[in-house]
Amino acid sequence: MGMVLAVFEREVIGLIGIGVLFLLLMLRMPVGLAMLTVGIGGNYFISLAMPAFKFLPFLKQFKTLLWGVVSNYELSVVPLFILMGLLASHARLSNDLFAGFNALIGRFRGGVAMAAIGACAGFGAVCGSSLATASTMGRVALPELARLNYSPRLATGTLAAGGTLGILIPPSVALVIYAVIVEASVVDMFQAAIVPGLLAVVFFVVTIAVLVRLKPEFAPQTANLAPAERRRALWRLVPVLGIFGIIILGLGLGLFTPTPAAAFGTMIILLYGLFLRFSGLGEGLSNEGLKNSFLDTAVTAGMIYFILFGAEVLKIFFARAGLPALLAEWTSGSGIEPWLILIAMLLLLIVLGCFMDSLAMILVVVPFLWPALVELNGGDYVTASSAVYGLSADDLKIWFGIIALVVVELGLITPPVGLNVFIIASIAKHVSMGDVFRGVMPFFGVELIRIGLLLAVPGLCLVLPYYLSG
Amino acid sequence: MIERLARWWALAGGLLLFAIMAVTTLNIAAFSADQVAALWGGNVYGLTGYEDFVTLAIASCGLMFFPWCQAQRGHVVVDVFTNHLPRSVRHALDRVWLLVICALALFLAYWMVQGLVQVWNDDALTAILGWPVWPSFVPGIVSLLLWAVVAGHQAFEPSYGDGPRRV
Repeated sequence: MGMVLAVFEREVIGLIGIGVLFLLLMLRMPVGLAMLTVGIGGNYFISLAMPAFKFLPFLKQFKTLLWGVVSNYELSVVPLFILMGLLASHARLSNDLFAGFNALIGRFRGGVAMAAIGACAGFGAVCGSSLATASTMGRVALPELARLNYSPRLATGTLAAGGTLGILIPPSVALVIYAVIVEASVVDMFQAAIVPGLLAVVFFVVTIAVLVRLKPEFAPQTANLAPAERRRALWRLVPVLGIFGIIILGLGLGLFTPTPAAAFGTMIILLYGLFLRFSGLGEGLSNEGLKNSFLDTAVTAGMIYFILFGAEVLKIFFARAGLPALLAEWTSGSGIEPWLILIAMLLLLIVLGCFMDSLAMILVVVPFLWPALVELNGGDYVTASSAVYGLSADDLKIWFGIIALVVVELGLITPPVGLNVFIIASIAKHVSMGDVFRGVMPFFGVELIRIGLLLAVPGLCLVLPYYLSG
Repeated sequence: MIERLARWWALAGGLLLFAIMAVTTLNIAAFSADQVAALWGGNVYGLTGYEDFVTLAIASCGLMFFPWCQAQRGHVVVDVFTNHLPRSVRHALDRVWLLVICALALFLAYWMVQGLVQVWNDDALTAILGWPVWPSFVPGIVSLLLWAVVAGHQAFEPSYGDGPRRV
């Protein structure tokens, strides 16, 4: 068998491996398992084809490989962020956030929808999962929007789009994982995400303002809240906004290092939830909610660690097969305009985003695209002035990561398969899927503008890391 | 019964996560107290070796989540390509993958035991606290074995439930 395989180049084995990976994924094999299977199997075939790469030493890496992944200090924020989001959700801080914003700006035309965007951004940032944000905020805000006779299209579109905001705004699990893959600083990534993330919030709010100006029937003028009710909502907003604001800005501006900030922030939210419950000021965190927060953290964190481990093993296989180098060689030797290649990569992310979990996608695809991009740009040590994309390799790392995540966000509201749209349509039973997609289109449009802006002006991502960490 | 075991095991992992939160809070409180005490020339010491502790705790709790994640069928699959297939075919595929997971968990457990022996023999210690590393392998190995049991049990379960989580 070794003789037969020896005629294969190791790159061919690598490419066959990619094919098998997609085949296994299509056959419902769990994502992490498929990556591990191809990683281990691929290494075995490479050892047959190239006796220099022995199989047993590869297997011996498994003594500590798994331990190495779960004990990674930088990744320790992942379960903490997940727990933070679940606790915030079980303590119903999402309700307080929406009601508070609503008391602030709800009386303006379209204000309740804008309040929903604000609440989505705040809650989404802390929660970190766009699907969870869409479903939580959908349940909180949709009934209120319907009661006030907002157009169902505007209401559902707003929430489907608002749900995507949290992926980018720190604390973001996806950014942590990207940073670990390309060996960037998590703090730099968080700082870089702040401006593009807030830009999205501003764009969405402006979109609503323009829509309700063009079509006033979309958002009827609402009566002012009763003063007592308004005061109560504002009082409830203050602590939540304080906690969320400190976590988001503290991490985004790099004031705290991620792990202690995540651990401390989670503790504060837990204590505040218990305080609400025992002081009788609100429902707060029940025993059931507390237990389920931890158990659901186990499910999500277990899933992410399994995929991370699979990606680690797959990476060893791809590196041995020489695939990153091969892709880099192809792209730089192809003579295709580098900007077109970049846009093709982003399109690939959107298309794959229709089939794959966004985290899994980042884990599978980025390790490939990244070396090719560096090669195109002019190598690891290129200076900004002579680089193809006009950025040094370190800046390119940050910029590409942010844009890749924005594109992943876009995939969640892209017809005909945007997952956020499905979730909102399943909550708003009286609104058809088609209407939700029509409602989300204006937001889709401004997202395209935002991507264009970020592509044209890398400074939007780089300005904060530049001034804050030099 | 197996599911309850996985559940308690995951909650024990959650307790470790809570321990990280508590230690961090103590540390931050000590740091703040130190800042305040410094005004009067005093000192309050925080806990040393924070990163060491987080590393050991997270290494254990990360793997302790696996059996419960499996019990909840939490590992994501891509299902858009198989949705149109008959239910029986999908379930047959899932059962095959469950057996593969069971085998994989046993494979990983075997190598992790080897890893335990290695760090034991090497007397591996953490950088600052100087704590031995090997105990953090033990919950991991137990987790992998429990993971294999859960997946193996699911593969032969007569009533199938909802199947794995969709992406």
